[in-house]
Amino acid sequence: MTAVAERRTAPQFSTVTRLRGWFRNPWGKPRFLVLVTWAYILWSIVPVLIAVQFSFNATRSRTIWDSFSTRWYWGDPVDSVWHDPTLRHALVQTFKLAGADVLIAVPLGVLLALGLARWHGRGSGASNFIMLFPLVTPEIVMGVSLLLVFSELFTFIHTGTLAQILGHVTFSISFVVVIVRGRLFSIGRQYEEAAADLGASPFVALTRVLLPLLTPAIVASAAVVFAISADDFVISQWLSKGGDTDTVPIRIYSATRAAPLPSVNAIATIMLVSTLLIVTLGFLAWRFLTRGERGQKSDDLGALGL
Amino acid sequence: MYRRWLWPGFAFPGILWLILLFVVPFYAVVGVAFGTVDPILLQPVPIWNPLDWNVGWLNEVLHRLAPGGIWFDVGIRTIVYVALSLALCLVIGYPVAYYAARHAGRLKGLILILIILPLWISYMMRMLAWVNLLQTDGYVNRFLTFTHVLSQPRDWLAGSSSTVIFALVYGYIPYLILPLFASLDRIDRSHLEAARDLGASPWQAFRTVTLPLSKIGILGGAVLITLPMFGDYYTPNIVSQSPQTSMIGNQIDLYFHGGPQPTIGAALTFVLAGFLTLLMAYYMWSIHRAQQDVGAVGAL
Amino acid sequence: MARGEIDLVDLRKEFAEVTAVDGIDLQVPGGEFFSLLGPSGCGKTTTLRMIAGFEQPTSGQILLDGSDVAYTPPHHRNVNTVFQNYALFPHLNVFDNVAFGLRRAKRPKDEIKTRVGRALELVQLGGFEKRKSSQLSGGQQQRVALARALILNPAVLLLDEPLGALDAKLRKALQIELKALQQEVGVTFLYVTHDQEEALTMSDRLAVMNGGHIEQIGAPQDVYEDPTTVFVADFLGVSNLMDAHAKGARNGACLVDVQSYELEARAGGDVTGPAKIVIRPERIELEPHGSPPGPNRFPGMVERVVYVGSGIQVIVRAATGEALQALFQNTGKPIQYEQGTPVQIHLPAEALRVLPADIGEPAKDA
Repeated sequence: MTAVAERRTAPQFSTVTRLRGWFRNPWGKPRFLVLVTWAYILWSIVPVLIAVQFSFNATRSRTIWDSFSTRWYWGDPVDSVWHDPTLRHALVQTFKLAGADVLIAVPLGVLLALGLARWHGRGSGASNFIMLFPLVTPEIVMGVSLLLVFSELFTFIHTGTLAQILGHVTFSISFVVVIVRGRLFSIGRQYEEAAADLGASPFVALTRVLLPLLTPAIVASAAVVFAISADDFVISQWLSKGGDTDTVPIRIYSATRAAPLPSVNAIATIMLVSTLLIVTLGFLAWRFLTRGERGQKSDDLGALGL
Repeated sequence: MYRRWLWPGFAFPGILWLILLFVVPFYAVVGVAFGTVDPILLQPVPIWNPLDWNVGWLNEVLHRLAPGGIWFDVGIRTIVYVALSLALCLVIGYPVAYYAARHAGRLKGLILILIILPLWISYMMRMLAWVNLLQTDGYVNRFLTFTHVLSQPRDWLAGSSSTVIFALVYGYIPYLILPLFASLDRIDRSHLEAARDLGASPWQAFRTVTLPLSKIGILGGAVLITLPMFGDYYTPNIVSQSPQTSMIGNQIDLYFHGGPQPTIGAALTFVLAGFLTLLMAYYMWSIHRAQQDVGAVGAL
Repeated sequence: MARGEIDLVDLRKEFAEVTAVDGIDLQVPGGEFFSLLGPSGCGKTTTLRMIAGFEQPTSGQILLDGSDVAYTPPHHRNVNTVFQNYALFPHLNVFDNVAFGLRRAKRPKDEIKTRVGRALELVQLGGFEKRKSSQLSGGQQQRVALARALILNPAVLLLDEPLGALDAKLRKALQIELKALQQEVGVTFLYVTHDQEEALTMSDRLAVMNGGHIEQIGAPQDVYEDPTTVFVADFLGVSNLMDAHAKGARNGACLVDVQSYELEARAGGDVTGPAKIVIRPERIELEPHGSPPGPNRFPGMVERVVYVGSGIQVIVRAATGEALQALFQNTGKPIQYEQGTPVQIHLPAEALRVLPADIGEPAKDA
């Protein structure tokens, strides 16, 4: 017969022994790493916060703080973002390019992702390679090549907004493909097969089953394309014809090399907030649209192919 | 289930776009680089037929990059900047990625967000932030003089190599930390526990288990930041107004926007692209080797 | 009314490097619960997918109630599938999942509502209409998948290892439910599994597959008691294979030599030459050491006694060298055979089977 074990009292360890254990605990948090990480995070983010802060500076200084003011946003009648045409047009141009980029690159990219993921015939390997190449090409190489192709080959396209849009879409497509393809892999073919099994034609299986399941990836890639387009400097600069076709990054660039006013900080802050807003919305949309799938499959990073 | 032409059909528009606006432009670079220059209009005359290519300009560019040429220093400097920046990024980034992946516990989500955040902040704004801080009357100088590290404020933005390297590190490090994090996050905790169980000290376990398994992440991150860095010209231009810190990218920029002499610019771009292709091939080979060691199956 | 008859004629599927299905012939009459049983890679799932329409055969015919559907797209076949991972549409709730097929067939709204309600009642999930699949347990998801497929009154229902993702107790309960459901609904069930116990429990008939071809077809009892190949014998349970030399039939029984012992196999047929003999563990009899000798008896040593709850396994080392596994019902009486004691092994002639040695070697261990 088995009996319940007798209660015994464990020996007490001295405070010194326990402290030593706390220090030497291999699974406890290494204090050094914590320090480095938080130091890095502060170093990474605080300068930007300071720049944001100075966009609200009452004086013309970007380095010496006076008091809170919105003059650089709309207050100052000459130099604020609202009143300075170069700054205002730069904002408009940036949003124009980003919007056009999303509207063109996302559909192209979704189709390309579907095609590359399912196509295994001749040419699919080369197509996959072509799709991946923009991701590893330095922007200056792309800028030079686009500038030259528009000046020597496709001469009907001049530098300016159209050329910039064409350039933006070209480097954005690959991002869409990677994001959507990751989602495709995590979905698999089972839902389309189940749909066909239940009587759905291939068209219905694609539109009523696959597309709704791809929506999180489509939304997320739209947000990503917006962000990388808004941030783009090199392609926009190389294909710009000056004036109204300059974007916010170009304005910031030229301003930092001259003697800028805090209005530069202001325009940068506006773009920062817009981009973060859109990225956050995209992320929340992803989470919302995949809310029924968590806990069963791999995490979001895994689905993105990271 | 689906028609056989459906998937290639879907892929067609995107591939056509990429061919017209990505592949063909490369050929435009080659055509100009191996072309001639109209002596009267001083315009580049591209040569499209490979059999008629003029290697004169390519030779000129290689000449200038060789020891003794006017670009030799620039080339060496670029390589040094990139190498040092990569090293610093690894030294700072690896502990951060390691902590976030393995020790963050409940704060992991928050730390991940904070690490990813800079990726969404415009590069220009991040540079702008430091340009402001590094002004003669900016916070950096004020802090350093206040703590008596410096006796006088220093001009950080006038041709200082260390400022350029600092800016490159600041700008590119988030792109290194992310793949590193992903790679470290994937390492199964049980591998480390097995190592400790078999008698390895924490440092030995790190060296023999974690480090090799994270090699793929290190290589991936290195590719992600060094290739663009070689073409960077705007960072030196922003934080240093001096030709003493110019990189290869600056030369290309000069010959297109400063001169302009597009043919030389194209030839230099061609050489840069060739160099980067070799570098890329080396990376791919290393990653392939590392994957075989680990038995991992990874792909884009 | 569709009968649900399946007829596979020389069905073959080749992929780039491997032939998954190597020319199989199979006939399943309507209303039967038929299982395809075999180890992973034997081709059972590929066969199922060809019948469903997700793979096109390299050659051969798939006759459904007489007409060849081998090249008909899946959405035009009167066949429905329950997938291994259920494949419930995540963006739809239970009602919309089950109604999916009816909506594709453009049935009127109230008809859909009634039929979905009835289908969910059939699988005991009445009231679950509004739930999302992520809110359901594995067993519940499985039942929704069943309802979704059965609601379309298919001629044949294909089930691809549907119970694989569930824990043992739930699996056993659902096996009984599935069998009862099939009998109630009368649809032909074609069930794919690698679990021989599952196949034996549920099927009216089953086919054992190996390496792309069918080894044996028959009712569970026939396949278990009378395996025709070594592979089937070994796959369906403990087979206690022994090498032997067959000497042909005499007086209706087959005589074999196992080393120096001559054994009689009642159902051996006329086999000569190198052979293997098979006996199931529950048919082995152990007699105390020193019992009077007789036909089909030889000495052995008890190596291990294992208590498995419902029974007791006794591993005996036969005088011929093999380790035989005997299984005794747990009757509550104390175990008579102790480790290390000698016994006399009796292999009753009616229980012994003889198989020619070169047919169907057992699959290699994974």
